[in-house]
Order: sequence, then C-alpha cells, then structure tokens
Amino acid sequence: MSNLRIVNLTKRFDDVVAVDRINLDVAEGEFLTLLGPSGCGKTTTLRTVAGFYQPDDGEVWFGDKLMNNVPPNKRLASMCFQSYALFPHMNVVENISFGLRMRKVPLPEQKKRISEVMSMVDLEGLEKRKPGQLSGGQQQRVALARAIVTQPDILLFDEPLSNLDAKLRVQVRVEIREMQKRLGITAIYVTHDQDEALAISDRIVVMHQGRIEQIGDPHSIYLHPQTSFVAGFIGLANIFEGRVVSRENKRLVVDAPFGRITIFDENALSASGEMVKFSWRPEDMVVSAPDAPNAIKATILHSIFMGRATDLFIDAAGQRMRAVTGNATKYEDGSAIVLGIDEKSIRVLRR
Amino acid sequence: MKDDSITPIHYVMLLPGVGFIVLFLGSSIFLTVAQSFGLFSISGHSRFTFDNWKVIAAQESLDSVFFSLKMGILSSIGTVLVTFPVALFLRKGGAGKGFLGSLIKIPLFIPALVAAFLIVNLISYHGIVNELLMKLGLLKEPLRMLNDKFGWGVIVIQIWKNLPFVLLILMASLASVRDDTVDAARNLGAGMWQVLFKIYIPLTMPGILVSMILMFIKAFGDFPITSIAGPPYPSSIAFRMHATATLYQEWDQAAVLGVIIIGSALFVIWAYSRLADLIKGGE
Repeated sequence: MSNLRIVNLTKRFDDVVAVDRINLDVAEGEFLTLLGPSGCGKTTTLRTVAGFYQPDDGEVWFGDKLMNNVPPNKRLASMCFQSYALFPHMNVVENISFGLRMRKVPLPEQKKRISEVMSMVDLEGLEKRKPGQLSGGQQQRVALARAIVTQPDILLFDEPLSNLDAKLRVQVRVEIREMQKRLGITAIYVTHDQDEALAISDRIVVMHQGRIEQIGDPHSIYLHPQTSFVAGFIGLANIFEGRVVSRENKRLVVDAPFGRITIFDENALSASGEMVKFSWRPEDMVVSAPDAPNAIKATILHSIFMGRATDLFIDAAGQRMRAVTGNATKYEDGSAIVLGIDEKSIRVLRR
Repeated sequence: MKDDSITPIHYVMLLPGVGFIVLFLGSSIFLTVAQSFGLFSISGHSRFTFDNWKVIAAQESLDSVFFSLKMGILSSIGTVLVTFPVALFLRKGGAGKGFLGSLIKIPLFIPALVAAFLIVNLISYHGIVNELLMKLGLLKEPLRMLNDKFGWGVIVIQIWKNLPFVLLILMASLASVRDDTVDAARNLGAGMWQVLFKIYIPLTMPGILVSMILMFIKAFGDFPITSIAGPPYPSSIAFRMHATATLYQEWDQAAVLGVIIIGSALFVIWAYSRLADLIKGGE
C-alpha cells in the first residue's frame, strides 16, 4: 500500500500526444477514477503507471520510489484488464497463483493466500476449470483474484466491467469497491462510464484530449462542473453562452440566446461585458409561473414518459434544451410550457 | 436445418478426395509392404520370405537408417530453435520488420537441390566462409563443414531451406497469443524468460509440434540435400533406397527400406502426438 504521484507526465505516440503534462496525487487507500471518452489518455496514463509504456516526459512515483525505469514485472501494481487476459492454458488456481509463483512466494503461504482469495471472490469449486469453461462473470472474478492475491501496492483497473451485462456490472462494481475498502489498497480505475465513476470513486479525474479537465469527488464533479466538457460528459446538461449585462456582488445578469437570465456565480469571476459560458441540469428546471424569476417560455418538441419522470425536449426562442419534470402531468408535443431555473442551480463554466 | 446427421451422400462426396488417397497411396503402401516380404515381386519369384529384411539388417543399411533419423530429429529441433526467435521478433515488429519478413521467405521459392548447391558455395572446403575466416586470420586451415562425418552441413542447409515454412506456422501460432496475456504475465512479475517459457511456448506448442513433425518427415526422407552435402558414408536412407533399386536392381530390398521410412515416420508422428497429449495433460 502506497501513495502514487504523477508529475508532469507526457506520453506521445508518433505525432499524437496521448497524455499531456498530467499531474496527479493519489492518496494511500484512495479509489481514484480516470473518466473520459475513448482517446482521452486515461488508459495510456494507467498503462504508464503499470510500466507498459515509458513516459516521454515527467515522473511516476510509488511512495518515495521513482518508477520511470522500473520494468512492469518489478512494480507491485496489479492490473485487471478489460479482456481479463487470463492465461488460457492454465486453470483457475494456476491463473491465480501465477503472480505468487513468479515472485517466489513460499508454497505454504501461496496455498493460504489462494484459499483466502478464492473464498473472497466466491470461486470455490471451480479450481480446476480452464478460463474457457467459465462464464464472463467468473472470469472477471478470477482476474480480480489474480490481481489482489499478490497483495500489490496499487490496483489498476482498465475498464474491467465493460464485458459484463448491465445487471452484473452494477453488482460487481459494488463488490470491487467493498473489497478495495476492506484491503485498503490504493486503486486507479479507468472507465468511460460516468455512472460507474460516480458510484465507485473517492475522487474522479475527468480527462479530455490528454489533459485533466477537472478533479473532484463525485458530488463536486456532478454538481459543480467547471468546464463545458465536464458538464456535458457527466450527466445531461444544458450549456449556453451569453454576455454579462451587469454584475451585482455574485449575481450576474446575462443575455442568453433564449432570453435574459440571472446567475448566481459563486466564484464571481466574470465582469460586465464579458462572454460567459454556463450550464444547468435538466432536472433543475421546474414548471413555473410566467412571471417567476428565470422563467423560460418554451415549446415542447417531444416528451418521453420514463415512469419515474418525464423527459422533455423543448425549444426556447430557437434554442434546444432538455428538462426533466415529475410524472404527474401528461405533456402534449407542440404545447407551450414555462420552465424556471433557480439562479443557484446554474454553473458558470471556465471554458 | 435441424437434421445435420451424416447421410450416404456425404460419403459419396468424399470419394474424389479420400478415394484418390486410398487408391494410390494405400495400394502403393500395401504393395511396398508386400514386396518387402517377397510377395508381388517385380523380379518374378513371388513367395513369402524374410530374406530381404535379413539383407537390409546389415550394418550399412542400419547406419543409413540411424543417420537419417539423426538428420530428421536434429533438423527439426534446429529449425524450430532458429525460427522461434525470428517469429517472436516479427510478431513484436520494430525496425526492418517488413524487409526481414520478405528476405526470410526467399528460401521458400528455391528448390532444395538448388539451395544445397548455393550453400555448398558458402561452406565448402574452399568456400566463401572458410576463405573469409582464413583471410581474417581466425583459421589456420579450412573447417570441414561440407560432407563432414556428422552431417552438420546437411542440418545447416535443412534449417536454411525450411526456416520460412516453419516461420509461417510459428507466426500463425504466435498471432493467437494476445498482447494482453503477455502484459498480464509481466504485470504479475514474469521476466523475459518466464514470459517465454510460461506463456509463449506453451501457447504455441501445437504449432511447434506440427513444425517439428513436418520438418522431421522432410529431413528424414531427404534425398537431394544429403547427396550433395552429406558425409561420404553413410548415405541417407532415401539415397540408399534409390541405389538399391536402380543400381543393384534389388527392388524388394528397396521396398524394405521404404517400409522402414514409412514406419519410422509414423512412429515419430505418434511419439510427437503423445508428447502433445502429455503437455496438455500436464497443465
């Protein structure tokens, strides 16, 4: 168990900069998720930590040890692969014990650890099966067992759940999180699935085009996105740009494409006359009276009844936006509606 | 299609392929075996006898059998040992991969006899290699690499000639090893040699065994390479069979040698497949 420090990490593939001067501190026992669309550099970062890639610039530290020139087999960072990467010619026990055999752990100790981990991931009775004879979920457990049995300093997950069906995915992510907490191992988890990231992480690092967009706990990432990318990538968001007409303390009045709107800017960074980007969540829009503050008059383009709520696609002065309202009312496509937003629910974005 | 059981029509469809093999190969093998015991004799006096076998059991013929066995086994092991690293390199890629890949396929298009003559120029007593080593002062007198007593010259040519063929088999085998699997092994603490022996070799074992079987059969039954680069004595079993039949006009004795070639080849194939089962069972 150890903390991990990434300093100014850069990784290029030919002309493409996959990871661009990233700085990251992961505390001991922390569960950190790298979240972003494909090609954002999250897997490259993870593979560099594992030692499969050499950084072009920057440093990777495990505790107080500089790892840049340490080959992957000398790093105590166990990885769970997206494909599981089980050894097809070995049975379950041989797969799980591989790391112990490579690191020359004494045989009695091996046996003890294997039986512990087999019961932990609920694989008892499958000892002699080959990977080809296991279901996807079982293979996933073998991969997990194989990673934790070596008692690594750091656990690395490369989209480990993407080959499971939706139901199993939710179940296994809870199990992974519980196990990581129990063992207290530092974990880095790569995913493109925002729900997974929100559900499992202590902190989320949102990456985009090789750079870090925002770091924060799930709450702050979701409720206080700092960039339009983060606002749009995690959850649904209505993102617009407008000119600040006036500012009074932290209250901005902005001319938006769909009308004038008041925003409570907690950081108070924007001055009058500047262009400002802002966003809000569809679920923060409420049906309101026409004269309420921040009331937006709109036409319903399309409504989808979802059971718990109704998803509305609306048009306000030619601008498309989305709203989520309660399930009590039945909406007709093409009808008029007035929706309001609390000024404190609107976030001013950095870019 | 629910019913996919095999009907008589399926067997009829097999006839052109299987029938050809049974008719021409089966009958000629049968005749060879029969002739070795004096039946269906070409020379006329057909009767069951062990005489042909007694004649062949002489030291000279046995030497030929053992020599060919030795060439077969050493060539097959040698070729796989030389080819495997090349296949690993080509799998990894890196500078010169395309060029090396094409260069290495050249021997595939050169007939064995021509290949033997080409390499003779290199390794003969006054060949390029010896002359060069002498010029550089590394040798006082030339090395006998061609027609040497042991048969190293033959093995060298066999390896050179068959490397591209075995390379194709081994590369196909290695292509089925996923990069993730190798990464996982390294991630779990396996060094270079452990990855080689615990991952690459076990996972490509079927390809390795197939390569060795095919190489053995080629080298064991070889005629042209041994007759050019082999030792003056003993000759290869194929060469001896040819001489027995055409030079001494002893067709029935030649048939005995033919049976020995077929029998040895079958035995080696059986041994290799037993080995494959053992390896599979051992995991």
